[in-house]
Amino acid sequence: MNNINELAPVDTIAPTSGVTPPVVLLSLVGIGKTFPGVRALHDVNLEVRAGEVHALVGENGAGKSTLMAVASGALAPDQGSIEIGGVALTSASPDEARDLGLAIVRQDPALLPDLTVAENMAIGVGFKRVGGLRNAPKWTQERLDPWQMGVDARTRIADLTVEQRFIVEIAKAIALDPKVLILDEPTEHLSLEEVQRLFRRVREIVAGNAAVVYISHRIPEVKEVADRITVLRDGQVRGTFEASGVTESQIVERVIGRSLDTVFPNKADASVAGIAEYQLAVRNLTSEHFHDVNFAVKSGEIVGLAGVQGNGQSELIRALAGLGPATGTLHVAGRPVKLGNNYAAAQAGTVYVPADRHGEGVFLPLAVSENVVMKTLPEVAPGGAVRESLIHKIAITQIRNLAIKAPSPRAPISTLSGGNQQKVVLARTLLSTPKVLLGEEPTQGVDAGARVDIYRILREAADAGAAVVVLSSDGVELQGLCDRVFIMSRGAIVEELVGDAVTEAAITNAALTSTSTVEHAAKRQGRFGGFKGWLRGDSSPAAVLGLIFLLLGVVVSITNPAYFSPFNINNLLLLAAPLILVGAAQQVVVLGAGFDLSVGPLMGFLVVISSFWVVDGGNFLVGFGLMILGALGVGFINGVLVTRFNINPVVATLAMFIALQGIYLSLRSTPGGIIADSVMAAISSRVSIVPVVTIVAAALALILEWGLRRSKWGVQLRAVGSRRDAAERLGIPAKRVIMMSYVLCSILVLPAAVIMMAQIGIGDGAPSISYTLSSVTIVVLAGASIFGGRGSFLGILAAALLVEQVVNISPFLGLSSAWSYWLPGLITLVAAVTYTAIRGSRRKAAR
Amino acid sequence: MTTASDTTRDALWRRMFSGRSSAIWIATIILFVLSPLIAPGSLGTAPLLSMLPFASVLAIAAAGQTLVIQQRGLDLSVPGMMALGAVLSSALPQGEGWPVWLAVILGVVGPGIVGLINGFIVTVFRLAPLVATLGMNALLLGTVFFLANGTPSTAPAVLTKFALARTLGIPNTLIIAIVVIVIAGLLTQKSIIGRRLTAVGVSERAAIAVGIRVNLYQTFAYGFAGICYGAAGVLLAGYTQTPQLFLGDTYLLPTVAAVVLGGTVLTGGLASVFASGIAALFLTQLGQLLRALGWSDAQQLIAQATVLILVVLIREIVPRIANRVKSSRKAPTTSRVDATTR
Repeated sequence: MNNINELAPVDTIAPTSGVTPPVVLLSLVGIGKTFPGVRALHDVNLEVRAGEVHALVGENGAGKSTLMAVASGALAPDQGSIEIGGVALTSASPDEARDLGLAIVRQDPALLPDLTVAENMAIGVGFKRVGGLRNAPKWTQERLDPWQMGVDARTRIADLTVEQRFIVEIAKAIALDPKVLILDEPTEHLSLEEVQRLFRRVREIVAGNAAVVYISHRIPEVKEVADRITVLRDGQVRGTFEASGVTESQIVERVIGRSLDTVFPNKADASVAGIAEYQLAVRNLTSEHFHDVNFAVKSGEIVGLAGVQGNGQSELIRALAGLGPATGTLHVAGRPVKLGNNYAAAQAGTVYVPADRHGEGVFLPLAVSENVVMKTLPEVAPGGAVRESLIHKIAITQIRNLAIKAPSPRAPISTLSGGNQQKVVLARTLLSTPKVLLGEEPTQGVDAGARVDIYRILREAADAGAAVVVLSSDGVELQGLCDRVFIMSRGAIVEELVGDAVTEAAITNAALTSTSTVEHAAKRQGRFGGFKGWLRGDSSPAAVLGLIFLLLGVVVSITNPAYFSPFNINNLLLLAAPLILVGAAQQVVVLGAGFDLSVGPLMGFLVVISSFWVVDGGNFLVGFGLMILGALGVGFINGVLVTRFNINPVVATLAMFIALQGIYLSLRSTPGGIIADSVMAAISSRVSIVPVVTIVAAALALILEWGLRRSKWGVQLRAVGSRRDAAERLGIPAKRVIMMSYVLCSILVLPAAVIMMAQIGIGDGAPSISYTLSSVTIVVLAGASIFGGRGSFLGILAAALLVEQVVNISPFLGLSSAWSYWLPGLITLVAAVTYTAIRGSRRKAAR
Repeated sequence: MTTASDTTRDALWRRMFSGRSSAIWIATIILFVLSPLIAPGSLGTAPLLSMLPFASVLAIAAAGQTLVIQQRGLDLSVPGMMALGAVLSSALPQGEGWPVWLAVILGVVGPGIVGLINGFIVTVFRLAPLVATLGMNALLLGTVFFLANGTPSTAPAVLTKFALARTLGIPNTLIIAIVVIVIAGLLTQKSIIGRRLTAVGVSERAAIAVGIRVNLYQTFAYGFAGICYGAAGVLLAGYTQTPQLFLGDTYLLPTVAAVVLGGTVLTGGLASVFASGIAALFLTQLGQLLRALGWSDAQQLIAQATVLILVVLIREIVPRIANRVKSSRKAPTTSRVDATTR
């Protein structure tokens, strides 16, 4: 192996081209950043010049993404300064960085799943630049076509494949004409051909004298595209090099920066080879991401899974743990294990150490001790009662044995560093004396000291009789740790390395030569075409509901001709009007991922107010003025509680529900105050058999629908509801948008209250209560996502008519009053279940 | 190092009073101390005996709501569930001539089964808990209306007698409440099931990864909650003798308020049934105090809503301030931890 120090950083060499000093477009000086327990960046200096592709390489957790988050204003550094295009970035603001000419494509694209590609583009680059929402699809299509990814600008992001989304994100960044473009691991999801197209585009950009920062851990790609390479390790710069002046292996050494022999425990001794039975046996395991996987692992063995990311390794190891679907057979210790079932896998003795430590590994708010025993609770609960003293004792032993650095067993696990959290996960794993131990990237984001301990722990688990499978993207780790290594490519095991053949070079070579890129031609073409695609769209519910509405009408009129009498139709339409309005009101809030339970009592409150003024001899203007103020006030308070104080919308509006009920009951404990006849007559007027108020309500729904699709308001509301964090990253004032949604909701309740006032003709709040459920029923029926982001006011119109019709037909069909409760409840549940089944559930954790 | 018995005592004490739960114990004690000073008539034997049954009913229902909120849900079917419990235990003996014991058991178990259905809809069909329980509530109210034929029936005399009676001077309702809460409390805090419920509530994904049958546990939580609502409904029916058809309507917000006051977070995970029970006592005594001061029922509603919002606001604002104070002091501590990990 070459001596690392032979390599001379380019900074000490005179510039190779010309004598004029290069123009620096991005300059980071003395950047430092510390997270609790981890020093992520330390005194980092980086200089990116005009006309160059500057690669930033390093291992996972080396600080690449943190550095770029600092550069793009997403994260405030503890020390240091940032200049973009020669102008200092004064605050950690993505908007400011973007205005200075910096664009970033992150590993996690800032895309709004429920919005179309064109709408995302318009938000990303500004409505003006795309020529307004009307022209956005055409403008966007022109920018996407050169990529030949088959992306239609009118598709929803959620319906695109991962690689298509990435291309949209890249196209969006390029459309900004940035001075500095940062690409963070851009090729992970791309095929070879797409990577080449990306590289061509990158070359064009730097030819225009912009700069590209290219972050990657794929050294061959970096060598191909970059002019200069900066290596980052453990948060520090380990040198900047001319790409042409270094070999791949020289870069790799810099990236890893440690020697191999001292770190790893001894491998399995010869006696393991003598064992005949296999502890873990996999036959013909197949899923969407891998196929016909066959292998077996003996107890005492550590087997590695390698390959370029995205070739099915992760899905395979999850399937082994019962966390993902698969067909085929899986045997643990000779017994068959049911696939796709986490409990069956656990019962069989399989334990999984997840890569996503925060999401899947630890129970963050719980104590270290509770995390340690979570998998072996029966052992600390003799006779079924959990004994704290036992938990404590076991935790102390484990903390000592695994050298976990924790202030106390009772400390919340969130206070530990990444490496120590991982050791807690391993302690939990070892306590269950696993037959099969599956580790996915077990040392990701772990400091060097803890890494050594983790290797030792894994080997001890194997020595204690477990079959260990380790998935790792770190070839050195696999070389040092594993007895055998399987290389995966395109979902299949393509090579097996045994004994002395397990070397980092061989692993890397095998992984890279076996065409390392993603294959996805098959799934590219429109994932949801034709009828199914239409069903998933926004317009389908309105059409389907409208059809049901008409059919139901015809069916009922056959059994009872009185159903189609002008009186009944007038009545139906009149009663539907307030439903359209409260449904639309609820829809506005739900689109922004909120919820308003107070719409019903707000109607009652407003009606009771009106009953003091809108009476014979009363001052109508004062009455209507107070109603407007009341509606605005309630919407404002709801909005403030939700946005300013982060109160769960359900709790805030539930409290408002009760408070409004209390207020109108205080004002009028029994119905009273007869509404003036003239007002009632005016509100009840009609054109032929259609009530005017229904026409007004329908017109409002149409206007809202137009606004939702065509105006900035609508796009922003859907953006915030779809993915608030991404919307905020894109510079949408989420709080203001949500605030406005509550106010608009209450404003829409106002006309509903006016209609109800005319219908009941007296100051009484009680009939209003049921409108809360109705509004939710209508929104669910209209096919809106209860989690925000998508919905349609046309759907609301159709759903409101249908709901009123269902209530209306009960007497015609001779149904008892109980059905007036059953029907709305049934409709709500059936509609919600149906829509969830059609669309698949998203974000189930949300309410 | 501490001895084992030390840690046990400490842990139990900690679980009851520590962190978010401690506030409600202190607030309740203060309320009871202040009540006679503000309104002399609000804390005699008679007012206490008239308040405790309602506090008991609320505490039992709140125990159920606590379990659902622990699973990141929110149960809006409380009114329907309680009404179902009440109507089963009163209408069946009166209208259909069922034996009282059977009707009472059905009044408790019936809502439990409906709770299991709620859980099934939420876990298997992946419906938002809010939508599922709101829809279920409407179905339940329809069923109650149907079973009672639209008119309230009188609770069986035996049930009424039991609910009004006292054992050793303690109202039977309170005894039932204590029994239910102790069972629910031990189940959630001290049993394996409870620890797993906490795990699922804290992180569904992590719970799946350690091999917990997440759907089963969540469904169980909804089912157990249903039993609590049913028990609350049956007791309330007995106590009020001729229960209103929809007697649960006024209990929805108070259950949520009690859970929030008790310190259970709405994002799930850590929950305390005991604290919710104490919060129920607090809310009911607050109502008693306000009534003694001459507040109407309508004004009580406003007070309830205000208390809920105030508590949520305090819980939101206090940590923000504490964080600000801490972050200015914490800087040296962080670097020390950093040094030791290296």
